[in-house]
Amino acid sequence: MGWLYTAPALLIFSVFIIGPTAYTLYVSLFHWNALNTAKSKYIGLANYRSLLGSTAPSFLSSAWHSLYFSGAMVIGGTALSLAFALLLQRGGRLLGAARVAVFAPHATPVVATSLAWVWIFNPQFGLADTLLKAVHLPQPGWLQSTTWAMPSVIAYSLWHEVGFTVVLFLGGLAVISPELSEAARVDGANAWQEFWHVTWPQLRPVTLFVVIITSISSLQAFTQFYEMSQGGPVYATTTLSFLLYQEAFVFFDTGYGAALAIVLFAVTAAFTLLQRRTGDRISRSS
Amino acid sequence: MTKNTRSRRIAGSALAAATVLAAVAGCSSSGSKDGASSGPTTISFMQIMINGSQKSTLVKLTNDFETANPNIKVNLEYQPDYGTLHAKETAAIAAHNAPTIGQVYESWAAQYANSQVILPVSQYAGSDKPDQYSSFYAGVQKDLALPDGKNWMWPFNKSVQVIYSNSDLLKSKGLAAPTTWDQFATDAKAVSGNGVTGIAIDPGTTASPASGTLMFQALAASNGTPDFAADGTPQLNSPAAVQALSYLVDLKKSGALQIGTNYPGEAALGAQKGLFDLSSAAGYYYENQAVGGKFALGTAVLPTGSTGQPTNVMSGTNLVEFTGASKAQQAAGWKYMQFLASASSQAEWAGQTGYLPVTAAALPLMSDFIAKNPYLPTAVGALAYAVAEPPYSWVAKAEGEEVVALQAALDKGTDPATALNTAQTNALADQKAGAAQ
Repeated sequence: MGWLYTAPALLIFSVFIIGPTAYTLYVSLFHWNALNTAKSKYIGLANYRSLLGSTAPSFLSSAWHSLYFSGAMVIGGTALSLAFALLLQRGGRLLGAARVAVFAPHATPVVATSLAWVWIFNPQFGLADTLLKAVHLPQPGWLQSTTWAMPSVIAYSLWHEVGFTVVLFLGGLAVISPELSEAARVDGANAWQEFWHVTWPQLRPVTLFVVIITSISSLQAFTQFYEMSQGGPVYATTTLSFLLYQEAFVFFDTGYGAALAIVLFAVTAAFTLLQRRTGDRISRSS
Repeated sequence: MTKNTRSRRIAGSALAAATVLAAVAGCSSSGSKDGASSGPTTISFMQIMINGSQKSTLVKLTNDFETANPNIKVNLEYQPDYGTLHAKETAAIAAHNAPTIGQVYESWAAQYANSQVILPVSQYAGSDKPDQYSSFYAGVQKDLALPDGKNWMWPFNKSVQVIYSNSDLLKSKGLAAPTTWDQFATDAKAVSGNGVTGIAIDPGTTASPASGTLMFQALAASNGTPDFAADGTPQLNSPAAVQALSYLVDLKKSGALQIGTNYPGEAALGAQKGLFDLSSAAGYYYENQAVGGKFALGTAVLPTGSTGQPTNVMSGTNLVEFTGASKAQQAAGWKYMQFLASASSQAEWAGQTGYLPVTAAALPLMSDFIAKNPYLPTAVGALAYAVAEPPYSWVAKAEGEEVVALQAALDKGTDPATALNTAQTNALADQKAGAAQ
């Protein structure tokens, strides 16, 4: 009877995950005509070859932008959320309100709040430029600047995502042993030493989970790029997932888009495995 | 585990499976079409006229059509913008649930025709050039055919680019409305400073070029070489194109041009922070709303460039009929398309929305509108010479290369010739890939 119990889950998983993934792999081997599939042509690995030879934008530059965004989100997001969690871990009405304030952005829809941030970064009437002008600082152009567009999207994404990872760290902080910290303080450890040598090592499993979750969600991030910068200017915010959307659903080069999806799937899976292995090794060594 | 619990679980699983199957079955049956029944023929029209006077006028025209043709019902299917419209049309075609009629740009029509999902005009009109065809402006007629020489589209909402200006600001500075691009630059530079910029443009995105790219295209055409040849070959690094991009770079360096997003020219003009805006004639309603009577809104056709010849960029879309419609729907759709392109409908449409009538026969019916908007006959005249997007499937993607060149030159400071050489190389690759499909 075991198979019968797993059948509903297996059916759902097959219909919505395994089936589409296999179909995407199949489509990636064709010059796919979404309008009239009878006119699709089998071209083998040609989509993967043109992916490596593309120039506008190049596959490598898009991969770099994905890495840039993911790196900033993983490092910046983890550090910020850990810092916020340490600040907010004590109770009290004010800190409770602060926790709500930090988490609230995460509860908002990305599509709505990213549009609000587009106006914050608006070069003519935006709040960011108004503040900079008030203190006589130059305005970098934000989303219109090839240098500042990606940091602008990262700033928004951190604002939106950090609330969730703060909650994860708060959960971790709530269950670690207070005796070890107390013993460290008795032995004369200062606040930094206590955090570095006692608190954070105990948070390693949570940190690993945060890093994996943030890596996956960052590599797959799309909505903020679609709403805020549309991959520009000059492809400065064209990540692999945005490029995939553009090729598959704007220019309708579906086979090429499917090849990109398979590569993105492989990259995400490889990153996750690497992080799991590294995490296991760290856990064993500690 | 008890027998009862096991039975409940099995029943629960069966119910879940039945729900999924019912949902799937529901999805597949929702797209059924009326058309072969003996009652009124129902047709659908997918378009983006979702706002303001565009929506209200289309609804009124459609009601008038249904009153005159009680056996035809038109379902208006709204989409928020052209990008979404293209995606929805494609998805509907792929799902074998295409609308009867849809708005299309020329490159989309080429893509649809290559995939055999739209009908040539001759199939539902009985002739490649039915009677109404001869009433259209020459530029509009030319815009209906695909490279095979056959007509596949019928006109609906056509437009050209117009310069909107703050007439009061021009007067206060003793400046004349520009008739040449040189004079345009002089005026823009003269007013710039103290929070005012001559013009604000948005190059757009690679998926959706905007006013800045249209300005570049208009400038290149005014210098003698449009961005694409008639056969769709990109000409992005022609001397005319380099001159056009250098012109924009010079304006930016002088502080007379600002880059923005979300219709920055219209917003700046309305906020009295800009002198000019370059936009479609169909933007007249929105420009007027932005200005809100704060000053006199000037309108003029595009200035001339180094050739001295009037040039313009044609915008707006045509209509097509998709395959999959029944004979009755094809006939009803054709009746509706002819109605929308008729002189009286075009007069009403143009008078309410700012789009240009596609037939000269509409002008005598628009005397009130023309009295208030004297630019209209000249703008309509531009339909004879305006450059339309060549009807090739790769052109939309290749236009994205122009956007990148503009961004590189205006933001990164890349030399215009270098930026356009890169754009040309990439556009040629787009052409090669598109032609191979």
